[in-house]
Amino acid sequence: MRASVRPILVLAALLALALPAEAHKLKVFAAVDGLSVHGYAFFIGGGRPEGSAWIAKNGAGATIASGTTDAEGRFAFELPAAPAGDVTITVDTHEAHIASATLSARTLGAADAAQPPPQPAAAQPGAGVTDDARLAALVAAAVERGTEPLQERIEMMDSRLRFADILSGIFLIIGLVGIGLWARSKRR
Amino acid sequence: MAHIPDGVLSVPVLAGGAVIAAAGVALGLRLLDDRLIPRAGVLAAAVFVLSLISVPVGPSSVHLLLTGLMGLMLGAAVFPAVLVMLLLQALLFGFGGLTTLGVNTVNIALPGFIAAALLGPAIRASRNAAKRGALAALLGALSVAGTGGLVALSLALSSSSYTPVARVLIATYLPLMVGEAFVTAAVVSFLARVQPDALRPASA
Repeated sequence: MRASVRPILVLAALLALALPAEAHKLKVFAAVDGLSVHGYAFFIGGGRPEGSAWIAKNGAGATIASGTTDAEGRFAFELPAAPAGDVTITVDTHEAHIASATLSARTLGAADAAQPPPQPAAAQPGAGVTDDARLAALVAAAVERGTEPLQERIEMMDSRLRFADILSGIFLIIGLVGIGLWARSKRR
Repeated sequence: MAHIPDGVLSVPVLAGGAVIAAAGVALGLRLLDDRLIPRAGVLAAAVFVLSLISVPVGPSSVHLLLTGLMGLMLGAAVFPAVLVMLLLQALLFGFGGLTTLGVNTVNIALPGFIAAALLGPAIRASRNAAKRGALAALLGALSVAGTGGLVALSLALSSSSYTPVARVLIATYLPLMVGEAFVTAAVVSFLARVQPDALRPASA
């Protein structure tokens, strides 16, 4: 059997190098609208986790909000006025399905992003905001809202079960069977 | 469900899983002969496709594992079959992960192997169809329960922040145990009628 194992192992090693698995079975989609974040968790191939724990953390690892998903796997929360860095939302079904989504600091709170130092903006809203900056913030928020369905669609397409992948899995197994039988017949 | 993703388990658990999986795969590969290679391939391909059909259950989504059946038909060769299946699922669909491949293989294959080793002789020897069906149902339910227990154990041993909650585990694994029991009983009863030899890993 050893002779047949070696090519399989080599093949597996090559595949492992070429394709780092990054997606998980559970996925999280999140979108920002002004200072409120909403989204949902979903299973690739169908289904939403109901009543699962979710937690949102900022870039420093501090908890912003937490709760449990509703019947549709949804969650929503308000951002603090000045979110520090990226916000990561993690959903844990408490039975080994864990997934998270990260909203980059750039897409978060367009109003805050328009001003380089977010701290003073939170302290004195409106002060020092030029018309240009406010316009830029409005445009950024509108673009974010307008592209949300697209982002959602991309996320879904990204994690679809593809027929071609299923077929290649089946044929890879058939190939392994062939290699095994061939190697055994060679040795006789 | 049984696919634990990367970055959740601690290194000792990953290493322990990999060692047990390697031992199981080595044991299984020695068993693979001209009769068992095609059977392992057919079962691996069938379960690979079957396990892509997920049914949403409460907070999770479950799919059939059929490891009890595989253990009954393949013996220790269930380990390489499950390993190939999990490798393909990780590479093609991103289910589970590559670092957790060993742990997941053990979690899925080991209960099926043990349950089939315990119940297999009685199932094969049984002349009574009803008794055989009941034993096969028990085989399916036990292997699923074993997988659930091992998944919970892997997470608990890693002492991560992702500890499983018993209530959720029961809510997801109990319906699966029932479904698995029915499917395993149906397949075993059918095979016992048309091809009893298929229920034996080693040629008689």
